[in-house]
Amino acid sequence: MLEARQLTKKYNDATALNAVSFTVNPGEIFCLLGANGAGKTTTINLFLNFIQPTSGEVLINGVSVPANPVETKKHLTYIPENLTLYPNLSGIENLDYFAGLSGKKYSKENLQIFLTEAGLQTEAQSKRVSTYSKGMRQKVGIALALAKDAKVLLLDEPTSGLDPKASNEFSELLTRLSKKGVATLMATHDLFRAKETGTHIGIMKQGVLVEQLTTDQINHTDLEKLYLKHMN
Amino acid sequence: MILKIALKELKELFREGRFRIAAVIVFALLITSFLVSKRYYDYVNEQHEAARKNARNEWTGQGEKNPHSAAHYGTYAFKPKYPLALIDNGVDKYSGVSIFLEAHKRSDAQYMAAQDQTALSRFGDLTPDFVLVFLIPLLIILLGFNAMSRERESGTLRLLLSQGVKPITLVAGKWLGLFLPIVLLVLPVFVLAAFLLAGVSNFGQFSMAAFTILFVVYLLYYAVFTNLTLLVSALVKKSSLAFVALLSVWIISCLAMPKVTSAIAEELYPYPTQSEFETQIAADKKNGLDGHDPWNAASKKLEAETLAKYGVDNVSQLPFNWDGYLMQQGEEHDAEIYFKHYNLLKETYENQTRVYRTTAALSPFLPTRFLSMAICRTDYAAHWNFADAAERYRIMLVGKMNGDMVDNSKTGDWDYLANEKLWESVPDFEYQPPAYAAVFAANQSNFATLLVWLLVSFAALYVAVSKIKVI
Repeated sequence: MLEARQLTKKYNDATALNAVSFTVNPGEIFCLLGANGAGKTTTINLFLNFIQPTSGEVLINGVSVPANPVETKKHLTYIPENLTLYPNLSGIENLDYFAGLSGKKYSKENLQIFLTEAGLQTEAQSKRVSTYSKGMRQKVGIALALAKDAKVLLLDEPTSGLDPKASNEFSELLTRLSKKGVATLMATHDLFRAKETGTHIGIMKQGVLVEQLTTDQINHTDLEKLYLKHMN
Repeated sequence: MILKIALKELKELFREGRFRIAAVIVFALLITSFLVSKRYYDYVNEQHEAARKNARNEWTGQGEKNPHSAAHYGTYAFKPKYPLALIDNGVDKYSGVSIFLEAHKRSDAQYMAAQDQTALSRFGDLTPDFVLVFLIPLLIILLGFNAMSRERESGTLRLLLSQGVKPITLVAGKWLGLFLPIVLLVLPVFVLAAFLLAGVSNFGQFSMAAFTILFVVYLLYYAVFTNLTLLVSALVKKSSLAFVALLSVWIISCLAMPKVTSAIAEELYPYPTQSEFETQIAADKKNGLDGHDPWNAASKKLEAETLAKYGVDNVSQLPFNWDGYLMQQGEEHDAEIYFKHYNLLKETYENQTRVYRTTAALSPFLPTRFLSMAICRTDYAAHWNFADAAERYRIMLVGKMNGDMVDNSKTGDWDYLANEKLWESVPDFEYQPPAYAAVFAANQSNFATLLVWLLVSFAALYVAVSKIKVI
């Protein structure tokens, strides 16, 4: 579903990403770990076509992203670290707008079902987003993935700054989506969440994907040791 | 998709305090300035009508007198105030409303720039046009300066583009979301104005077509400002910076450029001062015929020629009143002198107009303002047209008086009296303004300039937006 082949991104002399290759299949959650500046966000931006690769290929569902920027976004939902919505519109209105932009038209009841499924309390749904916490906004993002019937999720540190309960809820939502066959690529600093939620883990360092493993191969302590070994 | 974006923009706009407050203020100002102008207009028209009747009564009721004395007694031509002057008062305030018509003298110099006006007076003063050409562009800037920059700052632009929305679609939606509220604000005022103006009875040639064109001109102007606002908002990354940049655009286009243009026009083609103008006319008069001075060389020559033509020795033997004939010859000569000098003045005016037309390319404000004044018949061209008509009427009136004296009295017979039959035979001064077709033809370049502004700003917006980057 998501595929990077020898993906390289250079800015003048600096190499942000160097020959990164990985695949995320439907139902898998691929967690990218690494220090700030390791190239996690660059990878996600390449999948969104916000930037174009210097060399290598970036594919969604077998389709090249730079060549088909609109088509590859059809079944994709992106949730950035700080999901901002329109503060003067309610959760329902925001969801209606963003889902509408990807060509989906839903009744108010259906939109409410998606928001409820994403864990947003009913009474909050028609309130203006300016009153929402970060966790609530992230839930609108998940509801958008549900509304779009997304096959691909791109998450850029979605749980940073969330309290443990909200973070846990978010992870549960991801697990539920992956059971529906969604391919998820998530950049994160949270080793614990990565081990708990992810199916695969990649460790990045200075633009290079230095380690790839499945989470059932390793326990939490060993993952931390491995991570620190690469960072030092 | 575009409509969906536009609707969401509108929804956000209406929920925001700044739009509600600004819209209410601008709407109130527009309605108030319109109603105030309407009142002033009604008042002026009442006075105008009374004065016109009064002048006519004085003319026809002046009693028995020598026709040439009647020509000296004179009458007045009143410039009609047209219904659309309510929308744009133009230079009316500076150009005067009446012209005194008498023998020997074209006396409208006091209404001319040759007096003491600066070229700035071309830009009128506070009426609905102030709100329409100055404040509404400011409102567009106030509502739209962060239309694009806010999406970028808050990160919603990334989210939007991740949905596969094309930037150009987004901007098209935002364009409608900014332009439609402005239309909604201005339209009711124009509709109200149309109803009120259609009901105006005095001088009431109200042309719905011209009024509609005026409305369209303003809409084009607002479209240009909508383009500029979105362009700057898309180019400048920070909202605060976009706001400052757009305010500068407004100051330059609406305040600075008109004054710079006036200065350039005045520098290149300065009007003569009132005294220079009068001195030149006096000089020409002195060296030419003078109807009241038979010893003047030129009139002596004319006398000799006329006596030879009729084969008589003395002017008293001529079959017509020589005094009247000589005065009419002098009158015609004076009229030619006035014609020459006013044409020189007009040439300066036309040269200046050419400068304005060229420099109109520098700011969308200029072609809009010129078109607005032209359609409302309150520009200098309208005033010139009236002044020329009044002068033609004056020449006709004086000619008729002198002619009556020539035909019906003997040379030296200053006791000859004409009565109200003659006065009434002079038709009332009925001024017909130039047809709109002529007005539009004269303003082609302004239409073209405004359209070029629209197209170029659309193109610039298109190019800037298709290159937009989120990172």
